[in-house]
Amino acid sequence: MEKPHWSSIGPAAAALALAVWPLVFQDASLYLQVMGMACLYGTLALAWNLYALSGAVSLGHAAFFGLGAYGSALLSHHWQWSTVATIPLGALAGLAFGILWNLGFRRLRGVYLGLASLAAMEIPKVILDNWDSLTYGSMGMTGLSKLPVLTLGGWQVDLGFDLKAQYYLLLALVLATAVLLRQIMGSRWGWALRALRENETAAIAIGIRADRERARALLGSAYLTALCGGFYVHLLGLVEPPLVFNLHLSALPLIFSIFGGRRLFYGPVLGALILYPLEQLVFQPLFPMGHAGVYGVVIILTIFFFPQGISAWRGLK
Amino acid sequence: MSSNAWPWAYIFTTGFSLGSFYALVALGFSLIFGIARAFNLAHGELIVLSGYLAFALWKFCQVPFLLTLPLCLAVMALAALPLCLLLRRLGEPYGLNTLVVTFGLALLLQNLMLVLFSADYRLIRPELPGLTLPGLEVAVSGSQILLVLLSLLATGAVHLLLHRTFLGKALRATIQDPEAAQVAGININRMAFIAFGLGGMLIGLAGPLYGQNMYLFPTAGVDATLIAIILTIFAGVGRIRTLLVGGWVLGLVESAAILAMGSRWRELVAAALLLALLAWRPEGIAARKQE
Repeated sequence: MEKPHWSSIGPAAAALALAVWPLVFQDASLYLQVMGMACLYGTLALAWNLYALSGAVSLGHAAFFGLGAYGSALLSHHWQWSTVATIPLGALAGLAFGILWNLGFRRLRGVYLGLASLAAMEIPKVILDNWDSLTYGSMGMTGLSKLPVLTLGGWQVDLGFDLKAQYYLLLALVLATAVLLRQIMGSRWGWALRALRENETAAIAIGIRADRERARALLGSAYLTALCGGFYVHLLGLVEPPLVFNLHLSALPLIFSIFGGRRLFYGPVLGALILYPLEQLVFQPLFPMGHAGVYGVVIILTIFFFPQGISAWRGLK
Repeated sequence: MSSNAWPWAYIFTTGFSLGSFYALVALGFSLIFGIARAFNLAHGELIVLSGYLAFALWKFCQVPFLLTLPLCLAVMALAALPLCLLLRRLGEPYGLNTLVVTFGLALLLQNLMLVLFSADYRLIRPELPGLTLPGLEVAVSGSQILLVLLSLLATGAVHLLLHRTFLGKALRATIQDPEAAQVAGININRMAFIAFGLGGMLIGLAGPLYGQNMYLFPTAGVDATLIAIILTIFAGVGRIRTLLVGGWVLGLVESAAILAMGSRWRELVAAALLLALLAWRPEGIAARKQE
């Protein structure tokens, strides 16, 4: 990061390419859908990486995702609020779980935190699965309201059904989150978090308030993840416990971040933009059933051969 | 099972048989963790894989169920050894790296099993004679008897190995302090290899038993992994009697919870116990220094 102006040219060019390609290729609905989801998962990975900056490896981020999803779905189903309001408000459920998480797991580090987070996901899942009167239990909810039609000075954008508009929405989401992460990683807070990761005792000795900084990272990460959950269910129009509370959703941000590289702000997005389309467009046609297994292979190979992630390649030269 | 008149006897029999099995499930995880220092999040998936192997042998090759046990035992022991060699090459932080790699392995195995065996629920149903406990009127199925017998036999055998043989002494020394063990001339890499071999055998044994008592499906392993982690944290590493007690307690609590609230809350029991243990006794799992 010693040459900041150089290091942002690559990501900026990539962002421009992502914004321009749908204008060049017409009738690419499959690609729009896949790249849109890749952007959503990129946001998820960035959110995960915010918490991981402090050295925490979470295996349970699906809990935040699912709570954000259910929070928004329930608000829009029971009170018929617009999704513009329910997504940010529903994500507060994820934030609340983040506060509980922080109270319960404050003393846990490393492997133990990973194990605890793995188990933590079960709690909201089982509760929502059994609270039939509120959530319709394992039946889930279908026919949720889609994203609204925005009107900007006579120009209508149908976010509910126009795939191109959805793609741009998700692209904007991931770019905004990436810029946010870039600012955070360059700030004193970002360095404080990384200092905690490298050596907690030394970090406390130079005056970093470990618990407070880590809690802020977790809450930010939880809220962003929950927002993604809200977008996800309203894009799909349905929600059920296994759809949003599953190991796969906890695994993806971890895999994208580690594959892309956790040291650079765009690493997690890079991982998502490479791996998700690869899985959906290449491996799904080849192996219709077990195509997600490719993520398992990727994460194993990454840890063995590029433990710093692929974005660290440039630095190795 | 028509046991509404005797819920307590029912809870005790299911709790006891489940609990013995849980101890068997946890034992392999705990040996691998204690001796090789590797967190194996794919533990449950390997058990389910072994269960599917037994299912395939039993269903498609007409192998008698009892014969699938030694076959699975041998296959899984051989499968665990390459895993040991693979994990040995990981760098620091070793614990976290093994966690992430085996998490990836778990994902891979889940999808592999989905391809090979589809998402249908499978159950191995061998014809084993059951019996009714005298005086209690609780029917005990043959598979439950087999479950308890083999689980206790395997845990007992590992206990004897650890406490009555020279190899066991070396293994226990490695659990207590790998560096001191090395100074004393113990090859800790070989001990890790043996731990994976033993763990693989226990996994191989647990698989067919799992398949004849609980439904097999590709993601069933997560539960088994959670149980292994819970009991290992509860008991500490290499303490088999505590592991058995913990298994029985967990089995009893679970079967009581199922009876009281319905089977859908069962997953919550295991998760809540794990969180409570981590909150109150996070040092339990690392209890290698002293007690």
